[in-house]
Amino acid sequence: MATESFTKPVENSVAKVNDEVAVGEDLEFQRKWWRFENAAWVIFTLIIVLDVSGLFGRGPLAKAQRRTADGTIDVKYERIERTDSPSIMTIQFGPSAIQDGKIHLYISNSLVKALGTQRVIPAPQDSLIGEGGLTYTFSASKPPASVDLALQPAGPGLFDFTIGVVGADRVHARVVVVP
Amino acid sequence: MAAVFRAFFGYLFLVMIVRIVGRRPGKQMTPFEFVLIFFIGGLALTAIVGDEVSFTNALCQIITMGLAHYSLAWARSKSQRFARLVDGTPLILLENQNWRADTLRHMRIQDDDVIASARDSGIKTLQGIDRAVLERNGEITVSAVESNS
Repeated sequence: MATESFTKPVENSVAKVNDEVAVGEDLEFQRKWWRFENAAWVIFTLIIVLDVSGLFGRGPLAKAQRRTADGTIDVKYERIERTDSPSIMTIQFGPSAIQDGKIHLYISNSLVKALGTQRVIPAPQDSLIGEGGLTYTFSASKPPASVDLALQPAGPGLFDFTIGVVGADRVHARVVVVP
Repeated sequence: MAAVFRAFFGYLFLVMIVRIVGRRPGKQMTPFEFVLIFFIGGLALTAIVGDEVSFTNALCQIITMGLAHYSLAWARSKSQRFARLVDGTPLILLENQNWRADTLRHMRIQDDDVIASARDSGIKTLQGIDRAVLERNGEITVSAVESNS
């Protein structure tokens, strides 16, 4: 039984110029490619400028601060977070936040789960679950007083969170977590 | 599953970046290219592997890279347009005693690079070069003027 030939004779499959194998240069394509390359360098530069400015997190544009109308808390956080990258959210308490030497701070579940709260500094005296979140109790004397939340988001997305002293105004804000 | 996608997109992204960064002449890597390759590799590794340091993950990501590379090579063999896009085309740098100034400038190649390749081929003078071509792999091939005497 005849088998298909394993070899193939050298034919005019390769372009030739003056009987020489052509170089295969395609200047028209190459000029288009150079234009594309130039555009790519502009885009790369733009990405780096945006990154340094904080549009992808960790820069001036990413930093945010919110304060409740009653002045109980002032929250400093990053409105743009990066997946698996640590950051600190600082909650500064006003005088009206301290009641009988205690602060009861409510944080929504999204802060714990989506935004990945790893640690609460200082460690709370007590924690209570309910109302779609956690309520931490801290002993406090006089302002200035603050609590830090060490965050490390597990995945990208758009997440809303709520934080505030129990019985007072709350801060509602949104955080973008980039991949 | 996400790790496999990270590996796949990481591969495509690196192919694109290396293609745009451009061909540099020479058979051996210069110290600059060593820095570029190792640094890009290291940075890509951190993002692609993440915290998934298991053997299973390494195995799956390596297979993904292999498949991505195979697919690219397959697509390249099937479509000439795609091959041109991924590899570019050879470019003439010098022909008939004329420099292709535009090509040299765009490819960031100096005439010294061409002369070095000519020396490598045993050609000692500029007049002895018939044609110098920047090949798709970044190598400069030089052909000598044929002597009729």
